[in-house]
Amino acid sequence: MDKMPRLMDMGLEKLNSLLLDMATLSQQAVSASIEAYSRGGKGAEVKQMSTRLQSLHRQVSDLSMEMIARYQPVATDLRFLKACLEISYGFFRYGRYALDIAEVLDMFGDLSKCDRKFVVETAHKTQEMIRMSVEAFARRDVEMARKIPKMDDVVDESYRNNLKKMLEEKGNLKCSLSSTLILRYLERIADHATYIGESVEYISTGVEPPA
Amino acid sequence: MQSNHTEKMSSLGLSAWYGEKQALVNVSISMKANSVTAIIGPSGCGKSTYIRCLNRMHELVPKATVTGQVLLDKEDIYGPGVDPVMIRRRVGMVFQKPNPFPTMSIYDNVAAGLKLTGMRRGKSLDDIVKSSLEQAGLWDEVKYDLKKPGTSVSGGQQQRLCIARAIALQPEVILMDEPCSALDPVATAKIEGLMASLKEKYTVVVVTHNMQQASRVADFTAFLYLGKLIEYDETTKIFENPKEDLTERYITGKFG
Repeated sequence: MDKMPRLMDMGLEKLNSLLLDMATLSQQAVSASIEAYSRGGKGAEVKQMSTRLQSLHRQVSDLSMEMIARYQPVATDLRFLKACLEISYGFFRYGRYALDIAEVLDMFGDLSKCDRKFVVETAHKTQEMIRMSVEAFARRDVEMARKIPKMDDVVDESYRNNLKKMLEEKGNLKCSLSSTLILRYLERIADHATYIGESVEYISTGVEPPA
Repeated sequence: MQSNHTEKMSSLGLSAWYGEKQALVNVSISMKANSVTAIIGPSGCGKSTYIRCLNRMHELVPKATVTGQVLLDKEDIYGPGVDPVMIRRRVGMVFQKPNPFPTMSIYDNVAAGLKLTGMRRGKSLDDIVKSSLEQAGLWDEVKYDLKKPGTSVSGGQQQRLCIARAIALQPEVILMDEPCSALDPVATAKIEGLMASLKEKYTVVVVTHNMQQASRVADFTAFLYLGKLIEYDETTKIFENPKEDLTERYITGKFG
């Protein structure tokens, strides 16, 4: 039984390619917003990236629906399509939270007097999670996907610790509010990295993520 | 495999031959009561042979032989002293091509089996004919045309007439051998809907080469290849996450 080309394969390749484009763009969007925060900028380019990610997410969603309608996929093909919708949504959300961070920078203005070290450290951990989620998807690397949740715990803890600190300290409201908001967005990005990792595992093993 | 269904019928180490040629190799499948079990696989994999063994029709082919067991309510239908005619009454069959008796009316097509058992025309026979046509979802379409020939209705209606004919004998299991392969999508949808309602009263086993049909109608699916059972599981598991690579390749169309 030799492998024969199937009509569905063209669509699956197109989906994969769209998702890899989204992966690259969403990484760039988050990096741009973090860079703007740590170096003092506004991340104006993030808006365009986020809009483009939304458009790509719609394309993935439309193509997935079309393929389900036309080819009635099963087994690995069906799992891939289901996972594509989840992963595409994850990449779209990366971009959306990057935009939220850029909007904080725009709204709050100059943050150069704020201590940003803690937030930037957490941002780097989150970026590492994004990188791992993208690589896990690109290579269908289940082992890498399984490492992501442990890092999510670290980012969650950073967010909670920061909240406690802000409640205890009577610091600069602008600084505490901006860092809390940005950490919240980073915490959500980390959650989506975890979901993407779970979807990668689902494609390969068929094991559904825990409810 | 976890299931709330009890077993109605099963094959244990079932092998079948046409002369020297082996068509089934040691197939063991447990079919659950009040469920639809689909048998899928490529042409020549033994799916039709398999269901023909379930009501002892395989042995009607010259030089055809069977080994192993087929249990119906835990009793071997190939056991000594078992009457194959009685088995065929308990395990009815619907074929690929609708085959109403061409010289008989719609009424007589449904009543034919019962008349052979000695039942006379009368109210009880009328009641069974009506009930069978109702269960086959055909009564409203033919109730004023019962005296017309069975072959005068459409192909889809003829197939439902054949299902009514099988039901009239009050079987426990209904075997269907690619029952929709000669029908258009509308008639196919009616037969598929019918399978879902029939399983409330009967155990249904359907052979199909249409995998989407198996995924739509069946509670359990068995995949046969070259006469061997490759995988048998709940339909959702077979079509979402099959255990065997061969099943995966067949259902995703990656067979060469």
